[in-house]
Amino acid sequence: MSDFNRNPLIDWALKLYALLAFAFVFAPIAASFVFSFNEDRFPSLPLGGFSTKWYVAVATDPLVWEGLQNTLAVGLTVSIVATALGFGAAYTDFRYRFFGKPVYLALALLPPTIPVVILGLAMLAFLSRVELSGHGYSVMIAHVVMCAPFAMAIIRLRLSQMDPDLEAAAWNLGASEWGGMRHVILPFTRPAIFAALFITMAVSFDEFAVAWFVSGLNETLPVKVLGFLQGQVSPRINAIGTFVFVTSMVLVILAQVLLMKRSAGQDVVADDKE
Amino acid sequence: MRKSITLYGLTFSLPLLVWQLLFFLFPLVFLIALSFWTVKNFRLQPDFDTANWVRMYGREVFWQAYFLTLALAASASVIASVLAFPCSYAIAFKFSETARRWSVFLMVIPFFTSYIVRVYSWQVFLSDNGIINAALAWVGLGPFGMLNTTFGTMIGYLTLSFPLVVLLQLFSLMFIDRTLIEAAHNLRCGRLRTVFEVVIPSAKVGLVIAALFCFILTFGDFVSPLYLGGGDPPTLSILITDTTKSGQQWPRAAVIALTMIATLLTVAFAAIGYAYRGRGR
Amino acid sequence: MAEQPLVEFDGVIKRFDSFVAVERMDLDIHKGEFLAIMGSSGCGKTTTLRMLAGLEAPSEGEIRLEGIRINDLPTWQRDTPMVWQSLALFPFLNVRENVEFSLKMRGVDAAERRKRAGHWLERMQISEFAERNIAQLSGGQRQRVALARSLVTEPEILLLDEPLSALDAHLKVRMQAVLSDLQRELGITFVYVTHSQSEAFSMADRVVIMSRGVIEQIGAPQEIYRTPRTRFVAEFLGSSNIFAGKVSQTRKGQVAIETPTGRYATAQSDDKPVAVGDSVTFAVSGDRVQLSAKTPKGEFNTLQAKVVGEEFVGATATIYMEAADGTELRAQKSHDELRDLSIKIGGNVFVSWRADAGHILPGE
Repeated sequence: MSDFNRNPLIDWALKLYALLAFAFVFAPIAASFVFSFNEDRFPSLPLGGFSTKWYVAVATDPLVWEGLQNTLAVGLTVSIVATALGFGAAYTDFRYRFFGKPVYLALALLPPTIPVVILGLAMLAFLSRVELSGHGYSVMIAHVVMCAPFAMAIIRLRLSQMDPDLEAAAWNLGASEWGGMRHVILPFTRPAIFAALFITMAVSFDEFAVAWFVSGLNETLPVKVLGFLQGQVSPRINAIGTFVFVTSMVLVILAQVLLMKRSAGQDVVADDKE
Repeated sequence: MRKSITLYGLTFSLPLLVWQLLFFLFPLVFLIALSFWTVKNFRLQPDFDTANWVRMYGREVFWQAYFLTLALAASASVIASVLAFPCSYAIAFKFSETARRWSVFLMVIPFFTSYIVRVYSWQVFLSDNGIINAALAWVGLGPFGMLNTTFGTMIGYLTLSFPLVVLLQLFSLMFIDRTLIEAAHNLRCGRLRTVFEVVIPSAKVGLVIAALFCFILTFGDFVSPLYLGGGDPPTLSILITDTTKSGQQWPRAAVIALTMIATLLTVAFAAIGYAYRGRGR
Repeated sequence: MAEQPLVEFDGVIKRFDSFVAVERMDLDIHKGEFLAIMGSSGCGKTTTLRMLAGLEAPSEGEIRLEGIRINDLPTWQRDTPMVWQSLALFPFLNVRENVEFSLKMRGVDAAERRKRAGHWLERMQISEFAERNIAQLSGGQRQRVALARSLVTEPEILLLDEPLSALDAHLKVRMQAVLSDLQRELGITFVYVTHSQSEAFSMADRVVIMSRGVIEQIGAPQEIYRTPRTRFVAEFLGSSNIFAGKVSQTRKGQVAIETPTGRYATAQSDDKPVAVGDSVTFAVSGDRVQLSAKTPKGEFNTLQAKVVGEEFVGATATIYMEAADGTELRAQKSHDELRDLSIKIGGNVFVSWRADAGHILPGE
C-alpha cells in the first residue's frame, strides 16, 4: 500500500500496541530469567543481589538430575521414533493416493488438538490396562503420539517444495523405488529430518501434562517442576525454567537455521549468458 | 503410478498408522468403555454400569464446573481474539517485511518454553507482594488481589493462547488481497469502516479458527485455573486431574473427559460451520 | 517398410478412473527418426510419452520395444530416458553427479562413470560447470545438463517432454538447433512432446497431432501443413479459413461447393474424391488468399467480408474478418501488400483465392 492514505498517528499507536503485546508474551520468560539470578527467596522488586545459588541448588538436587536423565532419555528416543514415523506419513501423503487417506491424515495430525488432560487420562487408563504404564517408556509412547504430527508437518512441507518429477526422474534413470528413496527423497529431505528431530525433542522436553499422568515414578523434569509448583514458592523453578528454555531455544534455532539455509541456497539463479 | 500395495509403500505408511491406532485412537475409544466400568475396593472392574454417568451428571459440582469452564473458555476466546487483533493487524499491515518475519519467529518461541515456568513467573508478578503490587505501592496504590482470581486465570489463559491466536490471525490477514483495501478506500469507505467491512470479513475463516483454537486450549487447561485462579470452584480439567490422581476414580474421570470431547466437537463443528457459511456464494 | 519399428503402440488405451486419456492408439516409431507429438494440453500427448517411459501402465493394448512387450516393465528396467519439462535435475547433486546418476544406478564403477560422464559434459559443452550446483546454472546450461544426464547411457531412444517451454524465444531457437544436430549425429530416435507448432515443425521428421486422446494426423510437417486431414488439424494449425458445404458439380479435377456464403471452386481431393451431393469441408490457407477493395478480375473465388481486427507480428500482419453469415476468415499479408489497401476496422473488403488453393479435408 502506498503511504499516501496512511495516518502516521494510527500507525504508531498500532505499532506501540504490538510491542506491548510482545512485552506481555515475553514478560514471564524474561522475569523467570532475571529472578533465576536473584538472591532473594521471595522474588519481588527491588531486586536483591546477583547470585547463582539457585542453579547450585538445582545442580545438587538428585531429584532434578534424575528428572533430567529421564527427560533426556525420553526426548532422544521420542525424537528418533517420532521423526521416523512422521517421515513415513509425510512420504505416504506425498506419494500415494488411496481410499481412506483423509482418515489416515486425521490420525497422523489430530493428536495436538486433543486437550492434554484428556489425552493424559486416556493414555494412563489404556496403558495401565495393557501393563505399559508407570514405566520409563510410558512417557515415551505418549510423547511419540504427540510429536509425530510435528515431524510429519515439517517433512511434508519440505517434500512439497520438491519438484514432483524428481523421484520419477530417478526411476527413469535406472533407480529402483528403494534407490529413489536413498538417492533422492532422503538427500532432499535431510535438513527437514534434522529439523524434525530437534523440534520433536524440544516439544517432548517441555511437555508436562501427559507425562505427569503416565510417568508414575519415572518423572521427567517438567513433571518435577509441576511438583515444585505444588509445594512452596521456590526460585529453583526459575533456574530450571531458564535451563529448559535455553536448551529448547538452541534446538529450535538449530532447526530454523537448517530449514532456512537449504531453501535460501535454491533461490540463486545465474543469469542466462549464453 | 502403480496403485497396488507394495512392501515398499507399507514400510513407510504402516508404522505411523499402527502407532496412532494403538496409542492414540484405542486409548480414546477405551475411555468410552472405561466410563461404564466400576471401582470396587480400589480396583477397576470391567462392567457395564451407567452408575458413573448417573452419579456425575447428578452432582451439582459437576454442572457448576461445566458451566464455569465453558464460560471461562468462551470469554478467553473472545478476549484473546479482541486483544490479539490490533496486534496481528499491525504486524500484517504496518510492519516491514523483515519486522514481520521476526514477529512470526518471536511468536513461535513461547511454544518452546515451559508453560508451567511461565505460569509460575506470573505468580511472581501477580501475588499480593509481587512485582506489580510492589510497583503500584511505589506510586501509592494497591495492593490489589490478583492471584487466585478469575483475572489470574485469564492471564494464564492468555499466556497459553495469545501467541497462537496472533499467529493464526496473522496468517489469514497476510493473505488478504491488498487491492481490496485500496478499492474500499477508493469507494469512500473510511479507515475504521474498511477494517470492519472488508478486512474482518475477508479474514473471517482465520479469525474464527484462531478463536476456536483458543477455546480448545483453554477448555482443557488445568494449570492456569489451578495455580493462578486458585482452583476453587474447580474447572472440568481440574476435576479430571483430582479424580484421576487422588481418588482412583478413573471411570468418573472418563465421564468428564467424554463430556469435554463431546462439547469440544460440538463447538468445533459449529465454529467451522460458521466460518465457512456463505462462502459458496 | 519391412524393417521392424523401434516402438509399436498396439491398440493402447489409458484410463484414469473414468477419464480416457488415450483412446485406442496405434503408432509405430521408427529407428533414428525425430518424431514430434503435438496437441493442446490434456490431449494425451504427455500420457503417451509417460507410458513409453514406463511411468504409467497402459489400461489396455500393448507397447512393444524392438518387438518385445514392455507393458509390465518398470521404468528403472527400461532404457528410455526422458528429458522433463521441469528438467527434474537433482538440486542436491552437482552437475557431474547429476550426469553420473544413471550410471551409478546401473552399478558402473566410479572411474568408468567419471570417464563417460566427462565425455558427455564435454560434448554438451558444460565441462567447465562440472562441479557447480544446479542452482548456479542458467536455463540453457541446465538444459544441457538434462540432456547429458539422459544420454550418458547411450540409449536407443530419447524422450523429451516439452523441454524448451521454460526458455525465452531466443534461447529456444538455439536449443532447437542443438537438439536437431544432436539427433542427426547420434542417429537415435527422439520422441518429442510439445504444444508448440514451431518447435514440432522445425525439428521433426514426422509429426503426430493429437486431440482428446485420439491421433488426428501423422505426417511430415509440410504434408500436414499443406494438406490437413481434419477440421481439428486445420484449426489447430491456426492459419486456415475453413468452409463447409455440399458438392454441386464435379469436372476436370475441380469441384464446385455450395456454402452458406456462396459457391466456390476447389481442387478435387486426391485421397478421397468427392461426388455430387457429398457434404465436405475445405480449407484455404491464410497466406494464399488475397484482399482487395474491388472485385478482382480472373478466375477467383470471392466473397465480401467485414474487417474485425488486425494483429501485427514482426513483418507480417494477420487480418481477421467476418463474412455475412458469421464465418471467421483470416489472411496473412506483409506490410508492403497492405500499404496499397486501406484496411479499416469495420470496413468491407473482398477476399479471394484460386481454386487450387482450396484443400478438401479428407478426414471430415
